[in-house]
Amino acid sequence: MTTAITALREEYGASIAALAGALAAGDELRFIEELDALVKRRELTLFGELRKLTHDLQSALDRFRLDPRLLTLAEKEVPDARHRLDHVLKLTDEAAHRTMDLVEKAAPLADRTAREAAEIVTVWKRFRARNIEVDEFQRMIERMDVFLEAARCDMDQVRGNLSEVLLAQGFQDLSGQIIRGVMKLVSELELALTDLIRISKSGPRTGKPLSDDTRRGFGPAIPGVNNGPAVSGQQDVDALLSGLGM
Amino acid sequence: MSKDMKFLVVDDFSTMRRIIKNLLNDLGYANVTEADDGQTALPMLQAGSFDFLITDWNMPGMPGLDLLKAVRADAKLAKMPVLMLTAEAKREQIIEAAQAGVNGYVIKPFTAVTLKEKIDKILEQRANAA
Repeated sequence: MTTAITALREEYGASIAALAGALAAGDELRFIEELDALVKRRELTLFGELRKLTHDLQSALDRFRLDPRLLTLAEKEVPDARHRLDHVLKLTDEAAHRTMDLVEKAAPLADRTAREAAEIVTVWKRFRARNIEVDEFQRMIERMDVFLEAARCDMDQVRGNLSEVLLAQGFQDLSGQIIRGVMKLVSELELALTDLIRISKSGPRTGKPLSDDTRRGFGPAIPGVNNGPAVSGQQDVDALLSGLGM
Repeated sequence: MSKDMKFLVVDDFSTMRRIIKNLLNDLGYANVTEADDGQTALPMLQAGSFDFLITDWNMPGMPGLDLLKAVRADAKLAKMPVLMLTAEAKREQIIEAAQAGVNGYVIKPFTAVTLKEKIDKILEQRANAA
């Protein structure tokens, strides 16, 4: 015999026997009284369970409302993340355009150098084959003077553009840092939501301590995302440091 | 100090390391080694004979500020010129870096001219102090 049945027998056995007795004896009044008492006892147990459930639900809701981390995530950091990703979009867009501008400016210079060199080569070959008139030779020398000077200037410009193209790739570092920040936020959000699911199933929550942001760094300053007073560029940094005697 | 100076460039993004290395090459500094965070850089600094350290701040493992502090705390490295090249833009961070003994602070995104100016200035100050 199971313990549940034993418990039920202990709880209801006497009442059932009294009910059966009253019914057998034809005692209508006693039967009704016993039945009322039985139903009332059953209702009390049900109300108790319902009260406990309501209380659990209330405290889960309270914990949800009071979890400051979740509040910060929802109110500040998720909108911040949107700003951050917007900024990544802007950075990549700028870098792509800057790179393409520089390439577009450098390409005609390289074309011009190659085209002019090719034309000089034709005359040069005739000169090497000793098949050239004096005045044509004179024109070739003059043309080469112009070409060498122009090639020097153009290639300086191309080299400069290449350095700038290189520098424009710096966006990858900045956007990478921002994306990492957003990834960290997503994991925190995941953690907070997992906690929430656990709270709703009852049991205590364990919060993850925040890292020391200032020591580790915040990543690039992003317009619209405020982490406290920040400098706006190299000039600000220089002014701040010179104020410190550096 | 001459163009033979040995640079260590510390940044967790390989693209940024390449950019800095190329810019240094353009400035005539051909001897450039790379490390991807403070933890990798510190033993390299302790083992090698580097003349100049350029470091990022925000890196996994050991951040640049901790690397700077470790360099200043190491008797053999304490006097090494350190240039911070970082996107970290908070005033309190710049002040903290200055207090930790940084020699220059360049904020990203930066230009080749700024990098050159800061390196020149640090080297000039070294020469005057010597």
